[in-house]
Amino acid sequence: MSNDFAQFQDAFFDEAAEHLAVVEEGLLELEQHPEDLDLLNKIFRSAHSIKGTAGMFGFNAVAQFTHKMETLLDLLRNGQKAVSPSIADLLLKSTDCLKTLIESVKTGAAVDEETARRLTTELAAASASDSQPAVAGSTNKVAPAGSAANCSGDRTYVIAWTPPEWLFQRGLDPLQTFKELKNLGSLTEVTLDMSRLPELADIDSEKCYLSWGMQLTTDKDQTVIESAFEFVREDSALSIQLVENKGAQAQSLITETSASAETESPKPLGEILVESGVVSRETLDQALAQQKRVGQILVEQKAATPQQVEQALQKQRQQESAAQAKKTDTTSIRVDTAKIDKLINLVGELVITQSMLSDLGSRFEMRQLPVLLERMVELERNTREIQERVMSIRMLPIGTAFARFPRLVRDLSAKAGKKIQLVLSGEETELDKTVIESIGDPLTHLVRNSADHGLEPPEERLDNNKPEVGTIRLNAFHEGGTICITVEDDGRGLNRDKILAKAIKQGLISESEKLTDDQIWPLVFKPGFSTAEKITDISGRGVGMDVVKRNIENLGGTVSIKTRKGYGTTFTLKLPLTLAIIDGMTVRVGKETYIIPLLSILESIQPKAELIKTVVGKGELINVRGTYIPMVRLYEVFASEPEYTDPKEAILLILETEGERVAVMVDEILGQQQVVIKSMEQNFRKVEGVAGATILGDGRVGFIVDVRGVLEIARHGHPVAA
Amino acid sequence: MGKTALIVDDSPTMRQMVAFTLTNAGFTVVEAQDGKDAVNKVSGGAKMDIVVTDLNMPEMDGIALIKELRRLSAFKFTPILMLTTESAAEKKQAGKEAGATGWIVKPFNPEVLLKTIAKVLPA
Repeated sequence: MSNDFAQFQDAFFDEAAEHLAVVEEGLLELEQHPEDLDLLNKIFRSAHSIKGTAGMFGFNAVAQFTHKMETLLDLLRNGQKAVSPSIADLLLKSTDCLKTLIESVKTGAAVDEETARRLTTELAAASASDSQPAVAGSTNKVAPAGSAANCSGDRTYVIAWTPPEWLFQRGLDPLQTFKELKNLGSLTEVTLDMSRLPELADIDSEKCYLSWGMQLTTDKDQTVIESAFEFVREDSALSIQLVENKGAQAQSLITETSASAETESPKPLGEILVESGVVSRETLDQALAQQKRVGQILVEQKAATPQQVEQALQKQRQQESAAQAKKTDTTSIRVDTAKIDKLINLVGELVITQSMLSDLGSRFEMRQLPVLLERMVELERNTREIQERVMSIRMLPIGTAFARFPRLVRDLSAKAGKKIQLVLSGEETELDKTVIESIGDPLTHLVRNSADHGLEPPEERLDNNKPEVGTIRLNAFHEGGTICITVEDDGRGLNRDKILAKAIKQGLISESEKLTDDQIWPLVFKPGFSTAEKITDISGRGVGMDVVKRNIENLGGTVSIKTRKGYGTTFTLKLPLTLAIIDGMTVRVGKETYIIPLLSILESIQPKAELIKTVVGKGELINVRGTYIPMVRLYEVFASEPEYTDPKEAILLILETEGERVAVMVDEILGQQQVVIKSMEQNFRKVEGVAGATILGDGRVGFIVDVRGVLEIARHGHPVAA
Repeated sequence: MGKTALIVDDSPTMRQMVAFTLTNAGFTVVEAQDGKDAVNKVSGGAKMDIVVTDLNMPEMDGIALIKELRRLSAFKFTPILMLTTESAAEKKQAGKEAGATGWIVKPFNPEVLLKTIAKVLPA
């Protein structure tokens, strides 16, 4: 099929992903409410939509697979079959498979054809078993007889047509049919038969009482002629007869409806055997079940050890997921047209302001200064609004990242033999698309952890007077300029002694160290740390929490833990709303300008000399209302030349990060402004204490202070020269 | 040509494709995402030269929409094409009974779409 529609493929992938989510969520909900017909209809519609649209792009594997799902769903919604756990499970597995099929047409990734084939068989079996026998060999479609008269040259047909009375009521117009026939050849001897016309008084003006006879001379096939009557043929009295050139006998060629032959790709051998009645479906399924995988055969032949095969399989899985991750990275974004319209309006305003400014600039006099300033304010407002709008285009509700969890938790609870309910809230909280895409994995890890390690088995919970069903709560909300996401469970809480023992064993801390709880919990984020006694299928391979922390930090966020023994654990992720722009406080040290993220600033003070103490091994400390906070001289960190070296004359900014505080000494606070972050790593290399750089108003480069990094420097006391 | 077409489909992708094809063929296109939306969009008395509608839709499905449109005087004789899938023979019958002029079987390509429209749309 020549396909002008190819340009809409991306739209299809977006839409299919939405439908898949609907199907998956719907199926999960269906397990709770198997009788919910609305829900079934919704699931059916989504599957149907994927099928129809996939077909439009020639994605036959997708269309055919979805068709099988749809058939089963149709039986369910018609009440011909009841929703059972096994059917729900089969449909969920099929949804997964459909996902990979769609992924494969999108990225060319490999498909697990065996799974697809097995599921297809299972779906067919589930649709067939009791309500109807397995689809018998499709009704034979004999090639239309017209093709027998395939000889070239013009032939003449005599056509008699009595259309149905309601022809007009369906918006049909006989004239259109004549026009189309005329296009096929020469239409002659058209006669009108008015014999059925009733008395004038009885005529219903909306009905058709007429019949026609005509002769058509054409080189076209009879099927082509029939197609002119496509929409009325079944309801008309229609005869098309071929007139022999000699005008002797008319040969009837009319054949019963030859609905367009189904175009299906070749069926697997087993299917054909079943359809032709050689083997029964059960026999086929048994035979398929005996098929061995390559790995199994190799192991049996002692060509490879099970470990080697397992390793190879793992490698394959990794490669597959890596390839998929890479390919799905760049996707389109769907934007509400209203957002675009507003943006266009704003750009319009910007253009007006710009033209007013250039007009002013071309003949500027000093007395017009107030006008100039007014225009500048307007320009600033335009820019800020456009920036906000553009950012909002990238903002998506976090619900899209949460959507995978109901399924995940269902599978986890089945695997771990625990009863778990998942409570989601704050799904509508919006954040940057990139952030949403990147937090999926860390969140999955935290949820897995909670399900596996956090929550206790039902018996243990009952013993401890807790409800049998454990709860995992995912919540998202705005807090200041950041997004907080919490993963909370009501399980056993972190085990202080176990973590300490493990940390000592791993040499992360020494036995003599006295640590507070808040210092102990973050140890689980250290690489290689896992206290799970046995490695389970779900989590606890000793990798993970450190990756979670690293991923979140790469996004400019933080992770913190709150836990209470016997009551549960809460992981809190704090993430920036967007990655590109931050609100910053510009400060001056000597001639250099630095930017400090506004969010981390608690207050600024001008200290009295007696408040500052020097402690051996810990550097300088400052007493802020009774609490000693480490003090860092920014000029020492960046080895620059300051105006003041005496803290009494300088200004101290009290910064906070992850619950810890540090006082940073600068010469002067310049003001607040939004800055665009440029990555240091991408353009230069990572520099301790610097989160990035930005271009300042005067064109110079300013460094954005990494508060966490500065705190580390304060703690370990090794300033790094920039 | 200056003809108008109403396109009803809950799939934005399908809608886009049909709208794209018809717009290129000179139609002015009105899109609706389901039957209810479509009825709302024409209830002000708007006239259309042709309607192309999907059958499976939330809110109001294609069959109900066709019935509803045939009740309106502006749509009494308007050609209405339904988009069906090959498996839906009984749907086709239900559509005809509701007053559908004809059908286009998915998957189709732009030529088939335009040809079928030409078949039912008086020039």
